[in-house]
Amino acid sequence: MSLKSLDPRVTRLNLPEGEVPAMEPKPELDQFETYEAFHQKKEGTAHTYVGPVHAPNEDVAFLFAKEQYSRRFPCVGLWIARTENIQVTPYVGDQENVYETITIDEPTERNEQAEPYEIFHLKKRGKAHAHAGRVMATSYPEALAEAKKAFGEKGPIVNVWVVKSKDVLQSAEEDKDMWTTIPEKKYREAIAYKVMDKITKYKEENKTTTAQ
Amino acid sequence: MYGGGNVFEATKFDDVQVEDPVKLEEFEARIARGEKIEPTDWMPELYRKQLIRMIEQHAHSEIIGALPEGTWITRAPGFRRKMAQMAKVQDEVGHAQLLYSAAETLGKSREQMLTDLINGKSKYSNVFNYPAFTWADSNIISWLIDAGAIVNQMANAKGSYGPYSRALERICAEEAFHLKYGHDAVVHMATGTPKQREMIQAALNRWWPPIMTFFGPSDKMSTHTETLMRWKVKMASNDECRQQFLDMYVPKIWELGLTVPDPKLKKNMETGQWEYTEPDWDEFKRVINGDGPCNAERLAVRRTAEERGAWVRRALLNPKAKYVKPLA
Repeated sequence: MSLKSLDPRVTRLNLPEGEVPAMEPKPELDQFETYEAFHQKKEGTAHTYVGPVHAPNEDVAFLFAKEQYSRRFPCVGLWIARTENIQVTPYVGDQENVYETITIDEPTERNEQAEPYEIFHLKKRGKAHAHAGRVMATSYPEALAEAKKAFGEKGPIVNVWVVKSKDVLQSAEEDKDMWTTIPEKKYREAIAYKVMDKITKYKEENKTTTAQ
Repeated sequence: MYGGGNVFEATKFDDVQVEDPVKLEEFEARIARGEKIEPTDWMPELYRKQLIRMIEQHAHSEIIGALPEGTWITRAPGFRRKMAQMAKVQDEVGHAQLLYSAAETLGKSREQMLTDLINGKSKYSNVFNYPAFTWADSNIISWLIDAGAIVNQMANAKGSYGPYSRALERICAEEAFHLKYGHDAVVHMATGTPKQREMIQAALNRWWPPIMTFFGPSDKMSTHTETLMRWKVKMASNDECRQQFLDMYVPKIWELGLTVPDPKLKKNMETGQWEYTEPDWDEFKRVINGDGPCNAERLAVRRTAEERGAWVRRALLNPKAKYVKPLA
């Protein structure tokens, strides 16, 4: 016997009916690694954290993040970084500045060529990390120290993320047209549904009330 | 949509006394100050377990809830409605992704959660164990089940766990479209031909009993519940959510000249509370434990998708991949 459904497409799957043995636990990494996504809402604003995606590689992560995080709301740019490549400071309270509570082991001498790092700040718990800027450094701790000098002075900073720029996949200027289809999809907006006219007309014709 | 009817059972982690008193005090002080908890903070085991359970169930509800509506995409009347229904279903699956990630930050992998869903070890919203017989059923789900879910989610978005709040903020913004879309579809039927009116009334009659159970049975006020409320895990009681839903939506149903299949339903003007026939909680328990009209089908469809897609995931897997849980 196979499973009968109201949906003919489900019936056609010929799924077994009745007791079925439990599924073997999914193997590790069946759902791939995680990547973190940052979007830019409009021109000139900082890239802001939107959430993670699971993907087999950076390019697929970009596609998934584009669907997941920029499908419904205005977006002009998207950055992707492998979770593993992001270094995270401890979290402090909402009124504190994390740069002042940690000791940063800055290297005394630089052997290697400095490279760019991206710095993200969380200003308040529960909000999203936003891009604070870019620094040149030869290591993560040095990048953190540079970040403190460059933009770590003002106000509460609850948490900092540091990632090498080369580990961030960034959407290109010329790819921006990938987000231009949004205005054609008004049927996905609450504002496209105007029911009050229909309801008012119905109520006038039928004299319904909200109390019964 | 679809975060509803959480039943907070006492677990063996009920005993908060085993926790480090100094850390517990700091944790509670942070919540009392209105600060959110982030994934790397110390947290009591009870807090972690209850949040995993709640967010995971919410995620499963999104992904399973997409099934009864998804089956109506091909049969939705007209191109515009197909497009809108498709966008809504895509949103729901996207919500599941957001929620699975939020639960993952607490230490349970997505692989484990999906395994537990398919093997019936973790639950999803019970309403999706009922069938959507007609297009009108799909409309009632889009409007009233989503409405119920929004009541729940708006409350939970104010909870104390950062990643869950962030996910819910995004979800609530997308739900605004679902609610309007569902309302529009129901109004279209209710103000249409006699046949259309008959269909939407029949669907409402079928869905009313499951809708009334959506928020779950009345909470037993135990020290356990009080603890979860103090920690801002549980933000409103099941009855408070149900009352709020009735307040907001019963008038909207009545103004369309539709009836609610409960002769006892009325608002008591003295107490300000709705009175109604107590939902059939025995049926609720029976269905949530597997014996509903669609439980087997929902899980079989999900399992088939997982199993038939497994080779694609294996083929794409980078051999050097290393799992790190999402940051926030």
